[in-house]
Amino acid sequence: MRRRKKHFLFGVYDDFDKARDVVSELKMLDLKEMVVDNIELYSPIEHPEVEEILGEFHQPIQRFTFFGAITGAICAFLLVAGAAQAMFTVQPQGGKPVIPLPMDIVITYEGTIMFGVYSTIIAFLIYSGMPKRLKKYYTQKVSEDQIGIEVEVVAEKSDLVRAALEKCGAVEIREVTQ
Amino acid sequence: MSDYSMKDIEWAKINRDVLASLESPRKEFWIVLGVCLVLVLCGVAAEAYQYNEGLGVALMDRPHFWQLYISNFVFWIGMSHSGTLLSAILLLTQADWRKPIYRFAEAMTLFSILTAAIFPVIHLGRVWNMYWVLPYPNERTIWPNFRSPLLWDAAAITTYATSSILFLYVGMIPDLAICRDNAKGWRKKLYTALSIGWMGRASEWLAFRKTYVLLACFLVPLAVSVHSIVASDFAMSIMPDWHITSFPPYFVAGALYSGCAAIITLFVLLRYVFKFEAYMTTEIMDKTAKLTFAIAMVWNYLNLSEYASIWYSNDMFEKEVLMEKFFGPYHWVVWGMLLCATVAPFAMAFKKVRHNMWAMFWLSLVLQLGMWLERFQIVSPPLASNHEPWTWAVVWPGLVQLTITVASFGWFTMLFLIFCKVFPSVSMYEVKEMVFHRRKASSRTEMEDLNKVKDEMIKQEEGLS
Repeated sequence: MRRRKKHFLFGVYDDFDKARDVVSELKMLDLKEMVVDNIELYSPIEHPEVEEILGEFHQPIQRFTFFGAITGAICAFLLVAGAAQAMFTVQPQGGKPVIPLPMDIVITYEGTIMFGVYSTIIAFLIYSGMPKRLKKYYTQKVSEDQIGIEVEVVAEKSDLVRAALEKCGAVEIREVTQ
Repeated sequence: MSDYSMKDIEWAKINRDVLASLESPRKEFWIVLGVCLVLVLCGVAAEAYQYNEGLGVALMDRPHFWQLYISNFVFWIGMSHSGTLLSAILLLTQADWRKPIYRFAEAMTLFSILTAAIFPVIHLGRVWNMYWVLPYPNERTIWPNFRSPLLWDAAAITTYATSSILFLYVGMIPDLAICRDNAKGWRKKLYTALSIGWMGRASEWLAFRKTYVLLACFLVPLAVSVHSIVASDFAMSIMPDWHITSFPPYFVAGALYSGCAAIITLFVLLRYVFKFEAYMTTEIMDKTAKLTFAIAMVWNYLNLSEYASIWYSNDMFEKEVLMEKFFGPYHWVVWGMLLCATVAPFAMAFKKVRHNMWAMFWLSLVLQLGMWLERFQIVSPPLASNHEPWTWAVVWPGLVQLTITVASFGWFTMLFLIFCKVFPSVSMYEVKEMVFHRRKASSRTEMEDLNKVKDEMIKQEEGLS
């Protein structure tokens, strides 16, 4: 089956407030004409208020962290306890417990952290969608001092969206079909 | 000094300045790198000699089986602490002055660990048996002894090294993308691979921030555990002067102290070599110095309380070792430590010293010397007068140990300088964030001032009418 081609407009702005305005403008336009499929914002720094503009992002990274850490704790404890059990007949215990909790807590603690860190990194890669190739319309200006607005549009009505992007003071607009 | 300094730097200029540091450092950079390389070669020659002849050439004999290599191991592990730990704590407490300096501090952590990790291998003598610490059973199905603090060390350091590398790498991804966008040739390929397609999308930033904070939450307890475990190498034994309950917090405070001093040294060095005067300001040095001073006082308190607890316990073995330390053959090490690490930090109480970069540079070297002497006086003097009087002997480290010790400083500095030449040592996106927020806060203050003036004028007009 042939994949449907996607049409993108990419506007570059020199101010975050202008980018905020253009997103509101595009949302209004979409309500009237149903032309916008998706909006993405590119910026050189983090803007925590971006969720107010684009809507909430579902990124439960902390769940990965939590379950990763628990898995790490269990695995590390099983490793040390299992090793002690395996050596039960080989290593004299001298009346001490085969699985001594205070000693094993140290390795369990390290295992918890190690797996917690690894699972957090895995979650980061999943939810940020990386690694990936750079998009055709990506401009290095958005890693310097400008804000980029990417809009996926219905190809036939891209003029309407372009006009909205220009109206809010776009420094540059790129158009790509892929 | 204004709280809003650095607010007027243009974002494009931040990129230009930091990227320029990857291209054209001062010529002193190459001189220092050359000296470090020579030191490393000397160290390699000394290790090769020791490898062929055995540990005897390092003068490691009964009772001094633990000597300079272990002191160096503890010193470098300690130095690794401040970078990641302080970066993580300052990130969680949202202290924005960390932003221009945290990157090189985290890199310092990484290279300190890499330097520290070499010493147990050298100390072992039989380098080829190093893999025995890995957690797998041998041919007789005997596992490594997980009850030994030495194996805890291996686990803790592996966890700390990998977590610190990931923390450093994740924090660097947006900057690697900037480098990718501006580089050519082999650098372009390297940065493209390492930036894994970062484009600064909103979803990337949100995932990035969450991840970074979560990693910081892990690294704080991890860093504390690592040096506590290193302290356990000593405290879990029954040696007088080692078997001390307060050793773990004492080691952690000492680690933070020496790490902070190292941050100051590298701060001044990078500021000069890479021309970062606009970013590594006296305001930041002032705060770093105050933090170092506070940590120095914590370390001093723990050090003195350790002496006090030995004195009040009236344990004859502990007391004798303590007296030997102060008045025996190693006395100059202990007095030197007290001079460099207890008396010298009081210089940081003066603003004039804190604001003088080169004064801070030399002072930080003195503090590090003090902390290195502290590591040595923990390891060697107690062994000279242990529980077995027939083994008592005063042995000073030989030329091989000293050469490898000096080479480790060359190795660390060489790796660090290469890192700073290949990767941005100042975080561009975080400095931009700092500038952005300071500019916003400044304009807010200006607006408030204007409104106050306006209100007063209105009141005056109302009074007149």
